[in-house]
Amino acid sequence: MRILLVEDDDLIGLGVEAGLRQAGFAVDWARDGRAANLALTTTTYALVILDLGLPKMPGIEMLKWLRSCGKDVPVLVLSARGTVADRVVGLESGADDYLGKPFDLTELIARCRALLRRSQGRSVEVIRYRDLTVDPAARTALRSEVRVQLTAREWAVLVQLLTHQGVPQSRSRLEESLYGWQEEIESNVVEVHVSNLRKKLGTDLIRTVRGIGYVVEKA
Amino acid sequence: MPASMRRHLMLLVFASITLVWAITLLSSFRHATAEVEEWEDARLAQFAQTLTLLDQNDLTALSKAHVDAREEYGRGGSNGDDDKLPRNMLFQVRDGDGRVLAASPDLAPLGAWDPPSELAPQPRQGTRMITLGGAAGAGQAGGQPWHTYTLHDGPSGRTVRVLEPANTRSDLATGAARRISEPIAFALPILALLVWISIGHSFRPLRILSTVIDAREVSQLEPIDMGRSSSEVRPLIDAINHLLSRLRHSIVRERTFTADAAHELKTPLAAIKVQAQVALAAQDTLQQQLAMERVVQGVDRSARLVEQLLLLARLDEHDRMPMWAVALDGLARDVIVAKEDEALRKDIRVALVSDARFEIVAEPVLVNMLFDNLIDNALKYCDSGDRVEVAIRRDARAVLLTVRDDGPGVGIEELGRLTDRFFRGTGASSTGSGLGLSIVARIVEYFGARLSFGVGIDGRGLAVEIAFPCAASD
Repeated sequence: MRILLVEDDDLIGLGVEAGLRQAGFAVDWARDGRAANLALTTTTYALVILDLGLPKMPGIEMLKWLRSCGKDVPVLVLSARGTVADRVVGLESGADDYLGKPFDLTELIARCRALLRRSQGRSVEVIRYRDLTVDPAARTALRSEVRVQLTAREWAVLVQLLTHQGVPQSRSRLEESLYGWQEEIESNVVEVHVSNLRKKLGTDLIRTVRGIGYVVEKA
Repeated sequence: MPASMRRHLMLLVFASITLVWAITLLSSFRHATAEVEEWEDARLAQFAQTLTLLDQNDLTALSKAHVDAREEYGRGGSNGDDDKLPRNMLFQVRDGDGRVLAASPDLAPLGAWDPPSELAPQPRQGTRMITLGGAAGAGQAGGQPWHTYTLHDGPSGRTVRVLEPANTRSDLATGAARRISEPIAFALPILALLVWISIGHSFRPLRILSTVIDAREVSQLEPIDMGRSSSEVRPLIDAINHLLSRLRHSIVRERTFTADAAHELKTPLAAIKVQAQVALAAQDTLQQQLAMERVVQGVDRSARLVEQLLLLARLDEHDRMPMWAVALDGLARDVIVAKEDEALRKDIRVALVSDARFEIVAEPVLVNMLFDNLIDNALKYCDSGDRVEVAIRRDARAVLLTVRDDGPGVGIEELGRLTDRFFRGTGASSTGSGLGLSIVARIVEYFGARLSFGVGIDGRGLAVEIAFPCAASD
């Protein structure tokens, strides 16, 4: 699950980035509005965390631009300006959630998960699929009530496929959800993870769509 | 008792009225006196004229009778003389040879008129002469003033002298004076009341103004509107409104500053919290260590920000701090040495260009803060390999301090906002609070110096120039 973090403050950026990585997200960090613009036009993100006090392009402008382009990616706004009026302006400019600084990292991550869940049309965190019970927040996967150990990358691929049931995910889309900008992408990595997931969770879970990628069929 | 404008005005108005009134009274009295005398002279002349025409028998009979001037007037007209004392008119008639034809018997004891010395016309007080061949004058006889009139009658050759006690206490004059003064005496209290009320009424806008100001809440700083007011009160209201508007701006500025300060403090606090939570959740010790280091960085940043805010607040309070002669070049060197490590780490060369000892009278801690902020800024915004130059020189009027670099510089559109509190340029690194240059600007203002921005070394980067307008000694 790839998240774009737009934050100009080094210490906050580093902290949020680390926190999101710990929580199993792939994170791209843009330090100003222009870089964020570029990132949004080239990559598909599951979520944007946007700080409003940005150099080069104010956060609100950026939010309006984003919505005017028709991008419906969920946006969580972070701002030191936390009055009701500020929140209202932020939400009405197209934000899906608004968090005032200083915020709690666990709350930020929980809100991110909630936004992602909603954007995927779910209302509970735990995904049940046939004999599988997957909890992305707790990072636990049970197959017929037996716990299955998964690596972080395997997790990312599994969650991406389970949250887009019936929609084939291309290799590059899956890669995007695996890596942030700084991370080196290994070749064939998606195939390796998919084959590992089939070994651990059953061969019929993930179907290969020729020429496109992989899909988990609708339950 | 405090000085009252109302009482003061009353006093002035009444002193003026009384003075003018006294002068009017005096001049009217004198005028009336002169009129009365003139009239009496005319009557005396008329009496003398009658005497020239009377024959010897009539004259003798007349000399035996008393002629009282009061009765003469009383018959003459409505303006009767109300004098209490009898005023007997005395006369003497001589023929052409100087023989006395008839004379009042009361005349002899007075011993007046031994001819011919008394024949000469005597000038009267007031220098008015009657030109009927005779002369009127106030003679002093019997210890009291007399009016005399002498007439030489050509056809009969008679010389007629008429003597009348001068009417020194004439009721005509005093009556006229009383008639003038009485209405004024009655009018005075009424006038006083009217003036008192008028003055009070004139001061009403002032009373309303003080009520309006009194009724205000501390936060009520909008201009006072009293509608149309007089040209005397208007400047006062304008001055108060001007003060209010300045106060309002200052309070708005304070509020903005407090809000901005709180907002700015939230960012490092958020950073500290996030990093602390990362450290708590970290699985490996290396990541935990890193996060804790960042927590310390965040605390340092907050502390510096708080320090800067306190300094700005102190400068805003306008407390004069003690000042003495400080060597600019020495202080600059100290700050450059203190920043050496940072400069080396970023590979930035910092040079001091100063060919003499430049002293200004200033507060050394503030000057140090000035250098610290300027050099800190230059180091912060310059890239690796850039140069920073601190130059101190002197021209005719000022000691000029220039800190310039060949870093990325500042766009023209941003130059004007550099000294705004919490303003950070678009190329700003994230560790700045946006307060550095506003502190510099405040210190410069505090010293009465001038701050300007320009292009840095070789047409690149930023130059900050400060001109201290003071005599420097080498």
